[in-house]
Amino acid sequence: MRWFRFATAVVYICAPSAPAGAAGLGVRISDTRGNAVSDAVITVAPQAAGSVQPAPTPATRVIDQKNETFIPYIEVFRPGDKVVFHNSDNTRHHAYSFAPARQFEFVLAPGESSTALQLDKLGVIAVGCNIHDQMITYLYVTDAPHVARSGEDGIAQLSNLAKGEYDVRAWHPQLRPGAGVDSQRLTIADATELKGLTFTLSLLPDPRLPPDRERAGY
Amino acid sequence: MSFRLRLAVFLVASLAILQSVTAVLVYEVTRRQVVAEGKRQLAIAGTTFARRLDDVSARVSDNVQVLTLDFALRSAIAQRDRDTVRSALRNHGRRIGAARMLLIGLDGTIDADTQEVSPPERKFPFTDLVEGALEKPTAALVAWDDQVFWIVVVPVHAPALIGLIAASIPVDEVFLQREQEQSVLPKTTELALQNSNGNWVVVARANAGSGLAGQLLAEKPEYPEKPALIEAAGREYVALATPLHTSRESRPIVAVLGYSLDEALQPYRSVAVTWAVLLAFGLVAGLLGSVLIARGVSRPIEALAATARRIASGDYRPAPPIAQAGEVGELAAALTNMAEAISEREEHIRFQNAHDNATGLMTRVAAEAAIQQMIDVESGSGGSLLMVALARLPEITKTLGHAISDRLMRDAATRIRGPAGAALVARASDSEFLVWMRQAGQGDAIALSFRLLDVLGEPYREADLAIDVAPAVGIALHPLHGTQASALLQRAEVALFAALGADEPVAVYDPGADPHRPERLSLMSELREAIDRRQLQMHYQPKLNLATGAIDGVEGLVRWQHPKLGLIGPDMFIPLAEETGNIRRLTRWVLATCIAQAHAWDLRNRRFRFAINLSARDLDDPDLPHRVGELLAIHAVTPRQILLEITESAVMGKPDAAIRVLRQLADLGIDLAIDDFGVGQSSFAYLRRLPVRELKIDKSFLLRLAMGAEDRTIVRSIVELGHRLGYRVTAEGVTDQTSLDYLGEIGCDHAQGFFISRALPPDAFDAFLAASPWHRENLLT
Repeated sequence: MRWFRFATAVVYICAPSAPAGAAGLGVRISDTRGNAVSDAVITVAPQAAGSVQPAPTPATRVIDQKNETFIPYIEVFRPGDKVVFHNSDNTRHHAYSFAPARQFEFVLAPGESSTALQLDKLGVIAVGCNIHDQMITYLYVTDAPHVARSGEDGIAQLSNLAKGEYDVRAWHPQLRPGAGVDSQRLTIADATELKGLTFTLSLLPDPRLPPDRERAGY
Repeated sequence: MSFRLRLAVFLVASLAILQSVTAVLVYEVTRRQVVAEGKRQLAIAGTTFARRLDDVSARVSDNVQVLTLDFALRSAIAQRDRDTVRSALRNHGRRIGAARMLLIGLDGTIDADTQEVSPPERKFPFTDLVEGALEKPTAALVAWDDQVFWIVVVPVHAPALIGLIAASIPVDEVFLQREQEQSVLPKTTELALQNSNGNWVVVARANAGSGLAGQLLAEKPEYPEKPALIEAAGREYVALATPLHTSRESRPIVAVLGYSLDEALQPYRSVAVTWAVLLAFGLVAGLLGSVLIARGVSRPIEALAATARRIASGDYRPAPPIAQAGEVGELAAALTNMAEAISEREEHIRFQNAHDNATGLMTRVAAEAAIQQMIDVESGSGGSLLMVALARLPEITKTLGHAISDRLMRDAATRIRGPAGAALVARASDSEFLVWMRQAGQGDAIALSFRLLDVLGEPYREADLAIDVAPAVGIALHPLHGTQASALLQRAEVALFAALGADEPVAVYDPGADPHRPERLSLMSELREAIDRRQLQMHYQPKLNLATGAIDGVEGLVRWQHPKLGLIGPDMFIPLAEETGNIRRLTRWVLATCIAQAHAWDLRNRRFRFAINLSARDLDDPDLPHRVGELLAIHAVTPRQILLEITESAVMGKPDAAIRVLRQLADLGIDLAIDDFGVGQSSFAYLRRLPVRELKIDKSFLLRLAMGAEDRTIVRSIVELGHRLGYRVTAEGVTDQTSLDYLGEIGCDHAQGFFISRALPPDAFDAFLAASPWHRENLLT
């Protein structure tokens, strides 16, 4: 019954915004407790390798640092895109990454912006602040043709899916290492089709929150 | 057991038992309380210990977390710089007191290890800790290589989760001791883990050598979940095995917490000592108290017992006053009453005992005591004891009865009292009175005696009876006849006896005439021994045959050679022998000796007729003829050689039995002679019945034969009469030639006397015979 209700919800959400003639996908991501999971990245890639789409124009995206928080938590990049870190706080921030895809370190004074950093390699680049432990952001570099992030309601919407076979992957920064299915197969038979998928992810706690509420005072 | 002792034992025993029961109860209650307290404390301690471990883990994980934030370390980890990571871990491990630090990859493999192990472990064994640490730091006890560790696993973010750091802190004795110092753990704490065989192994103990865990967990994988009372190494504990929070992958670990009862009871020990001292004091006080109380009870009882003993011995003074009401006081009063009652009754009995019922006079016993007392008091001054007998009283009693003799005695007593005056009058026996005159001599005594005879001579009159009592008086004088009352009584009695037989019924004691002198008594007993010890001798007095002028007979006369008194004549001891019943022995001895002598002389061709005296008592012996016959046969002596002499008085009035004995003797062929003929109550009629062959004229006739014509006539008459009746006649006591000649003239058959010879022992007799003009050989046929 839950499934049925969820399905009707997906239809309700997807139906009005779906453009005519193009298939759509609604993905609902929840954790093992059934809670909606935001900030999950859903990538949909055709199984056939041949249908490579032309690369879009490289873009530069800004990761702001405000109230000792990286904003946004997750940003999706295409290979060749650039990232700029901006410090909107009154404190210094020391953004760093040890990720194999890209390693860097910037110490940004208040109001300062870093130089644009081009991200060429695919992968996830976790960026932290060496001064503020709870600050973390993820730069998700992917070449998948369809990418979407789940919102607060735990739903990610994808559209304009052509007919064909797809791999649908879900990723989340708090994914428990070595746990859970994060890939599902999707078949679009009709261009007007609206599909619904569900990912249940096993997640670790949000690293941005202090682990112990009792010690949150400082 | 005396009352005092029993009471003391009872009181002390009850006190001791009560105290012991109390002590046991108190001990049990205290112990139970201590055990309960121990259980409670252990339960708290178990929880506290677990909580304490959580605190430790929080501290350690904080420390480790701080470490994970170290940028250099994070960078080294992210860049997989293993050596740097290891050295950094070691450095930080020292800081937080960890024995081992590990870097664990997200897949659970060990990426770096501060401890060199070979072969290097690939997988971190406690996956649950890793699992949990992905979200937040985890901590748990683990059993690792048979040691217990506290492992804290902390995630490392750089900034994403890139691995985990595990810090392993040994939970060992040092750890336990440190915890103990902070008063978290009881003194006795042990950690034990279950090894792969399922056995429990003690890995750490805070209190060395208690052996508690070994005891509690012995031989079984299970352990009691509640505090238990156990004994280890001779001490008692309340012990609790608390399972500790361990990693899922670890073997179980328990903390064994011990609560020492001995230590817990320690404070009570001083209480126990105090109590014991108090008990000892209590016992002593109880003992003393009970002895005092018992003495209060038993003292008067002992006093009363002493009084009772005193009463038993005749002291009737009242019991000592006892200042005690109640039973003891009543007893004392009863004892006093009893003593008085006994005293009165005794007085009564004593009076009755000392006085004669019939006359109201003192009894002899009482009078004797009274006289003795007077003699003792008035020593030196004289006194006279009169024994007054009414000789006819026995006869009167037998004839008229006791009642009249009692009245007669009462009357006599009244009569005696008149003349007696102040003298003591008592009843001496059924028929006798005694009168004690103090300071009175013989004259006074005799005077009083006659006055008494006068008053008693008047016949007693009752109704139409006039009874003559035949009074007699015996007198004994003090101190002439004795200094003791008993002696005086006896002597007076003897004198009275003499007076009874005399014309004048008053006699004063005459020591010479007293047949009851004490020395006679000793002779009596000595006579028996004399026969046995050959102190007796036979002497022989020759009898001259006046017809032939030759000695043809002898009279055997016995002599007693007394070792102290010298020679004693037969007159002295024969009556004694008769009285004491020794006469038969004596006669037998005399017969045997004479017959043996006859035989001896026979052998030397000297044949005599032996005259042997028999006592009247011998005639009562029916064996006598048989004995004599035997003796004659033994010594081959003919019966004719024996002449047995008996006195007239011996045969007069004798029963037929005695006469039968004489006849039997005569039948043997033995001649019999009547001795001392002429002075007794001679009865020829009686004599005729006896087989008598000879008469011996009493020597009293012979003594005056030479002078008096009367005696001559008597002697001649006896000789003639004897001859006519067919008797031989022998004259005794011939003292001169004239008498002898005269006897020859009148035809007397034999003569005997000092003039011929006195009695001689056998040897002297031989000598006499040899020199004698009357000697002839074998004249007797």
